[in-house]
Amino acid sequence: MPYFIVFLLTPIGVAIALYRRNPRRFLDGPADDAPQRLLLWAVSLLSPRRAEWGQAMLGELAHLEGRRRRLRFAFGCAGAALIMPPWGRAAVGLGAAIAVTAGSLTLYASLAAHYGLGAGDWIALAVLGIICAGFLLGASALLRRPGIALPGLAGGVFGVVVGLSIAGFTAVDQVSFIPRPWQQWVTVIAVPAAIGAVGTLWRRDPAAGRRVARLAALSAGLLQLLYATVAVAILGGGGPPDQDGGFTVRGTISDRLGNNIVDLVVGTLLIAMVGWAAAALAGRLVRRTPAPAISVREG
Amino acid sequence: MQRNRPPSPQTVNVLLTLAADPARWRYGYDLATEVRLKSGSLYPILVRLADRGLLETSWEAGVGSRPPRHLYRLTGAGREFVAALTAARRDRSAAQPRRRLSEA
Repeated sequence: MPYFIVFLLTPIGVAIALYRRNPRRFLDGPADDAPQRLLLWAVSLLSPRRAEWGQAMLGELAHLEGRRRRLRFAFGCAGAALIMPPWGRAAVGLGAAIAVTAGSLTLYASLAAHYGLGAGDWIALAVLGIICAGFLLGASALLRRPGIALPGLAGGVFGVVVGLSIAGFTAVDQVSFIPRPWQQWVTVIAVPAAIGAVGTLWRRDPAAGRRVARLAALSAGLLQLLYATVAVAILGGGGPPDQDGGFTVRGTISDRLGNNIVDLVVGTLLIAMVGWAAAALAGRLVRRTPAPAISVREG
Repeated sequence: MQRNRPPSPQTVNVLLTLAADPARWRYGYDLATEVRLKSGSLYPILVRLADRGLLETSWEAGVGSRPPRHLYRLTGAGREFVAALTAARRDRSAAQPRRRLSEA
């Protein structure tokens, strides 16, 4: 039931929210061109020390003619802006995310080699690598936003800890757990909603809440993937027999690793979408609440 | 602390191109086309050169709805750096045939 609600109702909710925000843009599409939008997004991630260089890239793009030339220029600049130092404390968060991802992928490859898995599993590993690279790229952009890294990463850890507390921390729990309905409501609805709402209340800004939810989703997905891959490595072909039956050791390992990839994608989408909705709802409540009389100046 | 690593071939190329006409201000895209670098490689090089005080930047006022445009040229220190770099390369290329002869 919670899965049905999230995957059916959330896209409808997102569409309504986008339409309400700007009906013309929703129906006609964005007014400004793709290269400019891409570059605007990328330079917004630059540290204030590098803001002038972002303006330089935008200024240069505005003088270029031809869609293809503009697109190539914008892609190059966006790539440069994404990795341009200084990163400040965001570098620590990204370093941790890269380490977790590298651990998962290395372990997956070791298991595939050790158990002599087939070509399909190596293809799955390649697909997983692409997914993880996308996650890291998304996380790198979110980590550089001011005030997002700490609540986002903490939200991700919170989501994983709650999930493990419900499922159990052992390796067997990771491959045999079937949640009851109330447990699904907690992990699929309550926890992601809490992350999104707290993110909004933390910064008193729904946009910040949505970013916190996205970063929490990405970090929780990567962390859970590592935990689940370690569980497969510990169990090997052991543990409870698969309900489908008739599996060899290779088949069991392959099946468990494949399940981890599905869990990664589904779990991340759930947290991101429910967190997004909760952040938007909390934002409406924040807007209705009068601001405190004394404003605190941000450093 | 600033690291003084030897410049990459791409950086040397940018420096030599800028040094060819050091008084002239250049646009980023024109420079990228001239040195055959993509924008994603050129801008980090320009940032590093500016950080080291080798590159001077300026803004050209925007025309109509177009925003201002960034301009680049070498500073005095940048010109001296290129001169030293060129001299070092000349010395190295002069020493190499001698080494080859002695190896033979």
